Amino acid sequence: MNARQMRTMLLVLGIGWTGSVVAIDLDELRRAIEGPKQDKEQTERPAPEKDAAKDAGTNAPAPTEPKKKEKFDIGKVLSAVREISVEEEIEIGRQISGNLLGAAPLVADDKLQAYVNRVGRWIASQSGRSDLKWTFGVIDSADINAFAAPGGYVFITKGLYARLQDEAQLAGVLAHEIAHVQEKHHLKVLQKQQLMSLGSDALSRKIKGEEVVQKLIGSGAEILARGLDKTAEFEADRVGVVLAARAGYDAFGLPAVLQDIGSNTKDAGSVALLFKTHPHPDERLSALGEAMGQRFDDVNGKALPKRLVRMP
Amino acid sequence: MTRATHWLAAAGFAAALLVPAWAAAQEIGTALKPDEIKAEPFKDAKTVGQIAKGDRLEIVARQSGWLQVKAGNKKGWVRLLSVRRGQGGQTNVAQEIGGVATGRTGTGQVVSTTGVRGLSAEELKAAKFDEKQIAKAESFSASPEDARKFAGQGGLAAQKIKFLPDPRGGAR
Repeated sequence: MNARQMRTMLLVLGIGWTGSVVAIDLDELRRAIEGPKQDKEQTERPAPEKDAAKDAGTNAPAPTEPKKKEKFDIGKVLSAVREISVEEEIEIGRQISGNLLGAAPLVADDKLQAYVNRVGRWIASQSGRSDLKWTFGVIDSADINAFAAPGGYVFITKGLYARLQDEAQLAGVLAHEIAHVQEKHHLKVLQKQQLMSLGSDALSRKIKGEEVVQKLIGSGAEILARGLDKTAEFEADRVGVVLAARAGYDAFGLPAVLQDIGSNTKDAGSVALLFKTHPHPDERLSALGEAMGQRFDDVNGKALPKRLVRMP
Repeated sequence: MTRATHWLAAAGFAAALLVPAWAAAQEIGTALKPDEIKAEPFKDAKTVGQIAKGDRLEIVARQSGWLQVKAGNKKGWVRLLSVRRGQGGQTNVAQEIGGVATGRTGTGQVVSTTGVRGLSAEELKAAKFDEKQIAKAESFSASPEDARKFAGQGGLAAQKIKFLPDPRGGAR
């Protein structure tokens, strides 16, 4: 085992326990250090987006005192914690996405790819990250899944795409992934992990260059296989439903997809990773039911079944 | 047109008719919670019956947030989010996987028999960066203007809708 492999191993091990050890909300820390700061993307948001900012804050655990005080130099950590810039975020997301495409390349159908980009970009324009240059893609895998990476990269598998019945369902899936990017779910995981595993030394350096980025995200696209916590998934469902509805789509596209994959998947292997990394679809449907209630009864969105580009 | 092609066309037409009918007949749902059965897919429509949690339903059609169902001798519309597709619970593929995923069976391995390319945790972890592919993906990026135009062509207009609060997370 060479030094690099060893480091990767350590990083992987580190990931295993960060979840239980770290209970620091990095945004809270930043606010504590720098005082309240409005970043550019927030000021550009339309008024209702303020709710999203609030949502994002409560998703992370409440700031608490670290337990191992004797081994944890809080001063050092505080001075090292800084926000990952948008450029760094994009570089991280690009690396993760390039790795994902290494495992499953794009479906060779330009018309299909252009189509999902138009649909996805329109929904992303309704999000709090409309400033990003969004990239969407259908990837060549029979698995039923979809992925998001920081910086505005969203991919849906051929297996999931083939099950969709209308454009509103595609919108629902893409919107769930866009929500992960808006709420910076993966980035928060990386920030926490970076804090614990790489130490303050690495934090003070710029995240630049393929090697440094790859070191941060672990091995290949494993960050996408590890999944997020349940709260982040439920939040992405709630935000996703709203983003799709804001774009003018039937808000029930995502619930319909969840209902479909919850029961109609014949091949257990094709949903293995999806169910490993997400709460059960029934649980997600119930949670969405509670959150949506009757709020969307008078919202008449479009389903656009005829415009959905069918698989080759 | 020859007789053979006539026959083929007729068979194809019959198949096109039969497949959805068969699929619809197979569609069974289970009530996730008690709800009202409405005569039409609107909240103000007349209530024609009730479903209780666990009730077995036959799903006939979907319209936005509503499912047309048959429940016993009642037929009408219930909220999509009150129903899960599939029967009861125990034979559900998703739940089997769910059990495996929690690690109760130890290995976390799910047998895939398809043999086609999958995206397992192992495959993702072993994935190697593909510059050509990511560059190609980025080349399909749509501009905000292009996307807005395409949305307009489909009759989509931006709506003002607030984000949903978390009904389970008190601190907000």
